[in-house]
Amino acid sequence: MAERYAISKVNVPEGAAVPELVKMKMEKEEKLAEEKKQALAAKQKAREEERAKLKERTVAYEKEYADTAAELVKLRREAKLNGNFFVEPEAKLIFVVRIAGIMKMSPKPRKVLQLLRLKQLHNGVFLKVNKPTLNMLKLVQPYVTYGYPSLKTVRELIYKRGFGKVSKQRIPLSSNDIISDALGKHGIHGMEDIIHEIYTVGPNFKQVSNFLWPFKLSSPKGGFVNKRHGYCEARGGDWGNREELINELLGRMN
Amino acid sequence: MATARPVVSIYNFENPSEKTGTMPMPVVLQSPLRPDLVREVHRDMAKNKRQAYAVKPKAGYDTAAASWCTGRAVARIPRAPGGGTHRAGQAAFGNQARGGGMFNPTTVWRRWHRRVNVTKKRHAVACALAASALPPLVMARGHKINQVAELPLVVSDGIQSLTKTKQAKETLKKLGCGEELQKVIDSKSIRAGQGKARNRRYVKRLGPLVIYNEDNGITRAMRNIPGVECAHVDRLNLLRLAPGGSFGRFVIFTEGAFKKLSDIYGTLKSGAPKKKGYTLPRAAMANADLARIINSTEVQSVLRPKMERYTHGIKRNALKSKELMEELNPGSTERRAVQLKSSQKGTPEYDEVQKKKKARIEESKKYNKEHKKGDETFYKTLMKAFEAKAAADAAKKAAEKADDEEDEE
Repeated sequence: MAERYAISKVNVPEGAAVPELVKMKMEKEEKLAEEKKQALAAKQKAREEERAKLKERTVAYEKEYADTAAELVKLRREAKLNGNFFVEPEAKLIFVVRIAGIMKMSPKPRKVLQLLRLKQLHNGVFLKVNKPTLNMLKLVQPYVTYGYPSLKTVRELIYKRGFGKVSKQRIPLSSNDIISDALGKHGIHGMEDIIHEIYTVGPNFKQVSNFLWPFKLSSPKGGFVNKRHGYCEARGGDWGNREELINELLGRMN
Repeated sequence: MATARPVVSIYNFENPSEKTGTMPMPVVLQSPLRPDLVREVHRDMAKNKRQAYAVKPKAGYDTAAASWCTGRAVARIPRAPGGGTHRAGQAAFGNQARGGGMFNPTTVWRRWHRRVNVTKKRHAVACALAASALPPLVMARGHKINQVAELPLVVSDGIQSLTKTKQAKETLKKLGCGEELQKVIDSKSIRAGQGKARNRRYVKRLGPLVIYNEDNGITRAMRNIPGVECAHVDRLNLLRLAPGGSFGRFVIFTEGAFKKLSDIYGTLKSGAPKKKGYTLPRAAMANADLARIINSTEVQSVLRPKMERYTHGIKRNALKSKELMEELNPGSTERRAVQLKSSQKGTPEYDEVQKKKKARIEESKKYNKEHKKGDETFYKTLMKAFEAKAAADAAKKAAEKADDEEDEE
């Protein structure tokens, strides 16, 4: 806190008699300036330590992502070799985008969309996959499109359109300090920590995804196919679960 | 107010450049300044000398007019009855009719006068007196007091016994009021508006107000000097102390009158001896110097220090800005550099990648040699399946043909 003291410089012309109140103010400001300098030095040191740790963690995360991908490949090959079928792991993470506007919305889907923090057209949120969330998505199927985002999509969304909820305000994630202040107690101190927690749906997924303000995406370049119909319909449409193909859409909306 | 002057000089009326003595400043002249109060009380008090005006009660209705109703090709307004004159059949009664009554006729029972609480009136007078003791306020009101020695201007009692206007004028001039009196004379002009035809032809500015204790001729001496007014200290009128609702009238006290102010108004502790149940107004703030209060140690010691505001600037995209990416993801630039190097021929990273690639290809070749040899290559397995189906189809066709031939036979 001391690093944010606002120190005002008092201009006293040379040789002029200094009024009593001005003198008191000058002394006070001097003391605060001293405190501020010390706090800034301490902050700088802490920052360097934190950054070193974050660097190590990031390298570990990269290795983790590569390892899990390689493991899956190995298992698929092994299954083919043995003539077995490899059951792909079910998705853990979903990214939901609101497709419908706000006019003429039935009360139940309207409420569910509010609960999912999808209050505006083209808002997007990360969601954990479990029974309750899947049931909620069932209720709002015709108004959203969702799927399983890839690591690249998650990274790009968070870096380009990541904003955090800091004392109820939408603050851009322009510095790791913001993240550290908000999520430090959960062990999350930087952008890569957030990305890892979201992508691997870690134990603090709820806190992290709640800290992230709902993503405000652009309209997709190249357009939707037909928002009135479902993605899986033969005639072509947009709402509902489009699994891996959400990444293509998000690439155009991000 | 703690910062008022404690003592006022008394000037000799015969020789106004010399002082005959001093007197303590009465507490009433240190009352808090309340221009809003003075304005409000003046506004209401000034209404009390009004004379009623109204139109005649029957104005416009002293006819036996009645509407002709419909069916006669005229408007339905009441019309004067009878015949034989222009007036017959003419419209009457309405405000739109010629000779009709006015809209909302003015009445004498309009509430002309206003009552003001006695305490309020007394507070206003105290306030106006206090303002008259402050040179900036008196100058702001428009009085020319540059040559006046001191405010409040107190003159020895001899002035009360003046009988000749000429002498009074001289005295005032010697007291420094010459410029003020001249201002009044110069300002005489014809009134703008109908008042000029209603016995209020001329207007001029107001000059000094002389407040006396004992009238031994002063009122008669002063009354013909343009602009000068006299008032007895027992009967001070707000309408004269704050003309037009603006306080700061130029006041000249006589010694006796000045002394009597303390007797009439008293102090904040004692109350006013001559005004039953009345105490002078108290200021809302004892110490009105906000800057000093805020910067005092008592206040500053319990405040937290002022903080810089959070500024977030414009959001930049880390995917585009390498600088920001390094800030958010420490080590990303060097990792990226290593990655780029691995596609440049001749670097150790490139060799590493090529080695891995070679190993992978070797592995693949070995696997293929082991598992996919002879009839188990991709093409052969594909063609085997195809040929099996082709053979089955050919057999079925042959069987059909054989059946047909049998049928023919």
